[in-house]
Amino acid sequence: MNINRRNFIRTTVAGAAGIGTASLFAQNEIPDMVIVKNGSPAEMVRRAVENIGGIERFVKKGQKVLIKPNIGWDRVPEQAANTNPEAVAEMVKLCTNAGADWVRVLDRTCNQARRCYRRSGIEEAAKGAGAEVRHIVDSRFKDVDIPGGEMIQSWPFYKDALDADVLINMPIVKHHSISRVTLGFKNMMGILGGDRGAIHRNFMTKIVDINMAVKPTLTLIDAYRVLLRNGPSGGNLADVVTKKECIAATDRVAADAYAITLLDVDPNQMEYLKIAQDRGLGTMDLSKIKVKTINMT
Amino acid sequence: MRTARRLFQVFFLLFFFFLFFQARYPYETGLPSDLFLRASPLVAIATMISARAFIATMVVGLIVLLLTIPLGRVFCGWICPLGTTLDASDRFLIKERRKKPRQRDTLHFRSYKFVLLVFLLVSAVFSTQLVGYFDPIALFTRVTTLVFFPVLIFIIHAAFDIGFSPGVLEDQVYSLYNTAQESFLPLSQPAFYQVLITLLLFSGILALGFFQKRFWCRNLCPLGALLGIFSKYRIVKRYVSSDCTSCSICQRECKMNAIEDDYSINNTVECIECDTCQHVCKPDAISYTFGSNRGKNEIDLSRRKFVLASVAGLGGIGVLNAMARDRNRAGNAIRPPGALEEDEFLDRCIRCQECVKICNSTGGCLQPALTQKGLESLWTPISIPRLGYCEYNCNLCGQVCPTGAIENLDIEEKKNAKMGTAYFDKSRCIPWYSHNDCLVCEEHCPVSDKAIKFDIQEVKTFDGSVKKVKFPYVIEDTCIGCGICENKCPVVGKPGIFVTAATETAASESIY
Repeated sequence: MNINRRNFIRTTVAGAAGIGTASLFAQNEIPDMVIVKNGSPAEMVRRAVENIGGIERFVKKGQKVLIKPNIGWDRVPEQAANTNPEAVAEMVKLCTNAGADWVRVLDRTCNQARRCYRRSGIEEAAKGAGAEVRHIVDSRFKDVDIPGGEMIQSWPFYKDALDADVLINMPIVKHHSISRVTLGFKNMMGILGGDRGAIHRNFMTKIVDINMAVKPTLTLIDAYRVLLRNGPSGGNLADVVTKKECIAATDRVAADAYAITLLDVDPNQMEYLKIAQDRGLGTMDLSKIKVKTINMT
Repeated sequence: MRTARRLFQVFFLLFFFFLFFQARYPYETGLPSDLFLRASPLVAIATMISARAFIATMVVGLIVLLLTIPLGRVFCGWICPLGTTLDASDRFLIKERRKKPRQRDTLHFRSYKFVLLVFLLVSAVFSTQLVGYFDPIALFTRVTTLVFFPVLIFIIHAAFDIGFSPGVLEDQVYSLYNTAQESFLPLSQPAFYQVLITLLLFSGILALGFFQKRFWCRNLCPLGALLGIFSKYRIVKRYVSSDCTSCSICQRECKMNAIEDDYSINNTVECIECDTCQHVCKPDAISYTFGSNRGKNEIDLSRRKFVLASVAGLGGIGVLNAMARDRNRAGNAIRPPGALEEDEFLDRCIRCQECVKICNSTGGCLQPALTQKGLESLWTPISIPRLGYCEYNCNLCGQVCPTGAIENLDIEEKKNAKMGTAYFDKSRCIPWYSHNDCLVCEEHCPVSDKAIKFDIQEVKTFDGSVKKVKFPYVIEDTCIGCGICENKCPVVGKPGIFVTAATETAASESIY
């Protein structure tokens, strides 16, 4: 866009009006999904949470919070195989400031855990922001019944996730060879025990089964950097694009349905979204929910 | 003096274990966990002879050897972690021994260590390097890695599991756990092959203490033999004054049986400077001074035994080379990334398990072999992908290898170091076998561009309908054989994808 005086005034006025309108609505019409674009990873998280009702909506004083980013791989942030560490740190800060009893960050990794925690930058960033970054202890999984599960009726889940009052799911948007994309639903595999390889057969049904056992309070999707090809582990910087987006949603199906479009995949092609919608976990139809988009430039 | 020596022994033993626990990811403290191994002159000399190369990391061992000339076998008496362990275990066995009438132990076995030393050095000259099986530092590092370490970790993990189970004080237990895992505790239980054989041999060495104190050091240790030869000319000598009442207690208490029947004479080749004789002497007749030459310094190796040992060395090599190698099994012997070409690797590898220990803290693929590549491959490191895999961003095994059998590659070189190649077993792999999608191998493949790719093909199912299936295949040139595909393959039992050693050519070269 050309920046001349007229455009500048027009944009400023529109922007001011926009902010005014937003604050008018803020009292009674909290969006179900907020999409923030073109900020830094931390700023976008802050804005997204602010606009979806503020952290107070999700975290009450004295509550226990588990933040579940993707820390699956021994990769640096630039390779976009793990959730952005600055985004995670910002989320930790918000929860800590809201007076959470504890804020824990963990993931059951694919590569060796100590490598992933370190190279992803998440351990250092989240600790710095006041979180307890925990390693998975094999004996601390507990079997959870999944009454509505079609193929899986019971699976071991990590105790910290079950103990938490608030579960914040923080995936990164990535290509995935098996499930095509990896987003919120897939990210929940990081709190599962047992032989997760078995989930990859009939993945689309099983991943929904698993997600029926736990409901994230908030899904916060990091799309600052997006891995377009050779996911989920990636490695090649040529496969990464900087999209600079962040999505916060209370509807986890909607969150995945939107984020999937960042990988140029039609949500209707993703069977798990349809299954999840049929089981009442949320909606794929973004026109049925209130979506707010914020452009930070 | 004796107290000082004991304190030093405890210090060096603890220091050994401290360095041992340094061998873990990320290994950034700068303290070399293989320092004790590098300090073994026997390893230094034997590996340099068999490799026909100067090995810079092993210079410490040569320095120790030079220091032995003036100082005597201080290394054996004050530093060697195996010696210290034997001193400790001998205290438990000594009560049994005391039931017998006290007299001087037999000297009969004393020459064996020289025979062994000659055997090992002759083998090394002919490029068969067997020193790692007998070097006390390599032996002790091995038993620490394969036995002490996993057992200790099992106990600690069990204690934590009990701590976690009631559900109270969980946070306190976790914070303790966290401190432990940050400093030394592996996240999961280490488990190794060849644990039992290692334990049995080590127990045997300890049990020999029933017959004589420090039986191993007196009679078998080839490093002790080497240091003994060099300590002939030591400058500090044992001096016995005329206060000696010839009570013989020094001779009977001597750990090394180094005191002659004329109590004023000790064998400087055998003496380990432990100062026990001075301590037990009632009239206080023994002192250590510079130069008073009342020592005997003959090496207990006859020409006949020397020749026999040399011939045995040659014969042993012959036998090893006469054994047929199984090509199928050799394919399973995947060497660590950066391992030298097989013959050169065997010239240097001392089976110390440093690489196995540090690998356990990351990908965990390295395991001690049994006889996958012949009898002389016992305890050499091989990758067993079903148990662990080589972490793409990891080059730690090369960093801790004391002799350079595994090259210390920089990380970019290591990422291209080919350990092996993956092959699909199409009768086991899910898409090939049952026409269901899987691709867990492709998901985990760390190289970019991926070494496992897939083809989408339409297949007809048994009911006549058509479905699309992703069929994976390997790009041979890109595959580095890290084994994560085999490790993560969800097929229970024999995997749908497996790695074999290096390339077909390299694997066959190592056989013939």
